[in-house]
Amino acid sequence: MKPTINATTSPTIKIASILALATILAGCSATTTIDEYRPTADAIDLNPNERVVVLGRRDAGHYETDREFIDCVAKRMKGADIGVVPEQQFIDSIYPWFEPRTAPKGLPRLKRLMQDPLIKGQVDSQAVRYLVWLDGSTETLDQGGSISCAIGPGGGGCFGFAQWDKLSVYEAIVWDMTNLQEMGRLRVDSEGTSYLIGAVAPIPLLTPVKSDACSSLGNQLKLFFSAPEKL
Amino acid sequence: MFKILFNKRAIKPLAAMLLVGILSGCSSSASVQITSDFPAVLSEPKPVSASIVFDESFATYVAQPDKNTVIDLGTAQIKLLSNAFTGLFEEVEFVSDRETVNGDYKLVIIPSIREVQVSTPSDNYLNVFEVWIKYNLEIQSADGETIDSWFMPAYGKTPDAFMASKSNAIEEAAIIALRDAGAKLMLDFYRIPAIYGWMMEQQILEESK
Repeated sequence: MKPTINATTSPTIKIASILALATILAGCSATTTIDEYRPTADAIDLNPNERVVVLGRRDAGHYETDREFIDCVAKRMKGADIGVVPEQQFIDSIYPWFEPRTAPKGLPRLKRLMQDPLIKGQVDSQAVRYLVWLDGSTETLDQGGSISCAIGPGGGGCFGFAQWDKLSVYEAIVWDMTNLQEMGRLRVDSEGTSYLIGAVAPIPLLTPVKSDACSSLGNQLKLFFSAPEKL
Repeated sequence: MFKILFNKRAIKPLAAMLLVGILSGCSSSASVQITSDFPAVLSEPKPVSASIVFDESFATYVAQPDKNTVIDLGTAQIKLLSNAFTGLFEEVEFVSDRETVNGDYKLVIIPSIREVQVSTPSDNYLNVFEVWIKYNLEIQSADGETIDSWFMPAYGKTPDAFMASKSNAIEEAAIIALRDAGAKLMLDFYRIPAIYGWMMEQQILEESK
């Protein structure tokens, strides 16, 4: 006898499926917190002919602020009509003064660098008014469960369940390249759990932790630079 | 078309090719040739003339830091150091032999490599590939007297990326190490005590102020 689904139970099944899907997807969302510090609540002045450069810190020993994240934040800012100089273009134009070994870690060193007419001339020629330093990384904190896959002449498949937690922590510091002062700081923490379910085919339920950190940081940086009507 | 793709006979070679592809992706050996260009340095050269000797062994240097890794650094390091020395000295010549140095140039610099080291995530338990290039600069006056033998280490690292090949990661780390060598040279060359003393002696510092 063929199993049949009763027409009266069908809506119940649909609702249950939707609820189950919603629960799974809710479990895959990241928790993101942003802390912001700036001396004034006003948006930072940025004329249409002035630009911003977003640079990653790469002097830490055990991690690197990855270029993918820097590009992601820069794209977010570009979306708000903010002129953004590509990171590598700026670093190359001013070589070797923004390499991991030589990049200024604080304002006193930046002030000394900007006293060099060649360096100041290069910054001015690209109309770079603000520099945003991004420092941080995304790490896997905890992982559990196990999943195994096998293949044979009759076919193959994966069985099991695995989960892992990821944490993205990034800090942004905004420097004014004209007045040589700090304009503010932002810190974003984003955490979430991803799952991999092996039910013949592996089903990944990934939490976009880094992408969430990027969009939150990018949106908040837009508020730093944009008047409300620009957003 | 569908039938051909899912024919059992066709699946076996496809599966074998896929397995070979996966296994080659997991290969632990890397042979890298650095062909990257490097930016010109942003610097005001000092009024010093120097001959730089890039001998053949240096210009064609191929490092083998371990049995699984080969890095061809020769061409790239010549490009990088040529740029950097041009930013350090007002007058500079590049020669391939100490014997052919122009006697009018006040300094003679002979770079060489002492050692190249690499470290992979399986070695350092971090998610980074690292490359160290340990240079030595033999710095002489025009008459052949040694002013200093300067040890110049350079370092580069690149993050490990999911499914990225070891060769690409080591190439990227080596390029960063070479750029670091240029940065170290620009930052520290005139801070070498022996060079500072030699410049005082030659009254070059007063001229360049």
